[in-house]
Amino acid sequence: MLTAEIMGAWVVVFLTLCIFSFLYKDNPFYKAAEHLYVGVSAGYVAVISFWQQIQPNLFGRLWPSRVEVDDGSILQSIWYTIYESFNFISTGFGVLDRSIFPEGGIKGYDEIRMIYLIPFILGIFMLLRLVPKLGWLARWAIAYIVGMAAGLRFYGFLNSDILIQIKASAIDFTSDWGTIINALILFIGTLTGLIYFFYSTEHKGVIGRLSRIGIYFLMIKFGASFGFAVMGRISLLIGRFNDLKDYSSSEYNYATPIILVFIIICLAIWSFMDGEKKNESTV
Amino acid sequence: METIKKIFILLGSLDRRIIFFIVGLSVLIPLLKPEWVNLPIRPTPESQIVFDEINNLNEGDKVLLSFEYGPSTKPEIHPMAIAILKHLYAKNIQVYGFALWPDGNFMSTEAFSEVSVEFDKKYGIDYVNLGFKPGQEAVITGIASDIRTLYTVDLKGTPINDIPMMKDVVNIEDFDFVFSLSAGFPGSKEWVQYACDPKNIPLSTGCTSIQVTDIMPYVENNQIRGILAGMPGAAEYESLVETELQKMKITATPGKATGMMAAQSIAHVVIVLFIIFGNITYFITRKKKRKG
Repeated sequence: MLTAEIMGAWVVVFLTLCIFSFLYKDNPFYKAAEHLYVGVSAGYVAVISFWQQIQPNLFGRLWPSRVEVDDGSILQSIWYTIYESFNFISTGFGVLDRSIFPEGGIKGYDEIRMIYLIPFILGIFMLLRLVPKLGWLARWAIAYIVGMAAGLRFYGFLNSDILIQIKASAIDFTSDWGTIINALILFIGTLTGLIYFFYSTEHKGVIGRLSRIGIYFLMIKFGASFGFAVMGRISLLIGRFNDLKDYSSSEYNYATPIILVFIIICLAIWSFMDGEKKNESTV
Repeated sequence: METIKKIFILLGSLDRRIIFFIVGLSVLIPLLKPEWVNLPIRPTPESQIVFDEINNLNEGDKVLLSFEYGPSTKPEIHPMAIAILKHLYAKNIQVYGFALWPDGNFMSTEAFSEVSVEFDKKYGIDYVNLGFKPGQEAVITGIASDIRTLYTVDLKGTPINDIPMMKDVVNIEDFDFVFSLSAGFPGSKEWVQYACDPKNIPLSTGCTSIQVTDIMPYVENNQIRGILAGMPGAAEYESLVETELQKMKITATPGKATGMMAAQSIAHVVIVLFIIFGNITYFITRKKKRKG
């Protein structure tokens, strides 16, 4: 019987083998899988960002459930009329069912937070990038994001990556010999590594020798990074092979061997035809 | 000697596809026949620290488990998530799942559903899955200051005020421990910078191999308590948890990372051999060119 699980397994195997086919050379299977991956990822992130953040946290704060906030004022009635007009637009002028703007407001908050109009307007400014004449307004939103991120990151980096790390590179001479030697190597590595990136003075004499030591420390770091990168990639390869192995059983209607043979035959035909085309164009 | 040199030159001119095929076989054969390769797994001090930190938590403590990985890094991180959850559940610790990556939602759902059934844990009482919120490090800052500014509902859409285990939780200071399952940005580094260092909350991490050299300075400095480094780290933690569960007389399904380590080790040997051969070939060819 063809269940959703089996169909899923066949899709998984097909897309995995499509990507692996790049190891032979660039081909239509790889290109199709690559485009699908990019499209699905972008679509998924857009949808989840809207439904997990914009709808509940932005619209939910601007138009909370009216039962929670109703004070009978005219201003509030006008505010919720705007909400209804947004709903009218989002439902394709009343053709579709309500989804983004539920009847009577969005549940979750018990007061209207007008301050959230600022991110709402900035969000609209960001979308105006698509309109050439009004595209400049997007810069305001970008400036806000850059400013906010810079401020937020400054403290984090200053505290965790600079101050605490400088403190940690100090040598504690009261500890045992092993720790002192370890700390000394770390200190020399840090200092010489920094000297290597100090370009205000020509790297000659003492500075040149110290920066050379710095290069050796950097090379050790790059070597370790490369080793770990290889380890990571092999782990991912094992993961894919493990899935391919699992899906090659009769339980999944021999998905792996069937799709593998199919892709190999198709690639062989494609290669043959591609070769012929090249020959024709050369002639 | 000349014959050996010729062999090395021949090896150096191998088509890259043959090398891919050999590396592929070195992974595939141990996966198909794991009984052929039986290598012991010895925990590194860093993995042991992670284990000890979690083992020293008390029953009823609150742990924030952050899912910052997706299907692309699942083979490395997911076995860690499973082993950590088994350890936490065995010790009756309350688990709060968060996701900083959109596909972290899939990973957390899969991990919780797999282990919670095995340990008979109830949603909302023993564990909760709050899911993903976009905003990267701003989400961590939000969790550090007031969770409710970001999270009004959990992943299932239940208002968090209706979830029993969320009653006393306001911000990160209400947690006893943070564990970050990280595959990149935002991840462990951001937890250190925006939450755990400023609020002084103990943090451990399980991360992809490629991140290890970047995270190590924090581990050396005790800003992160131990590290599970890639698939070997997951296998080491699995072995530690298995021993602990045996001591507690709890039977649980064995972890996946241990079974994959044979393939990992053989593939490494093959790659190292290719690097050595490649270098020898390079030096022989260079010498020949110099001689003219």
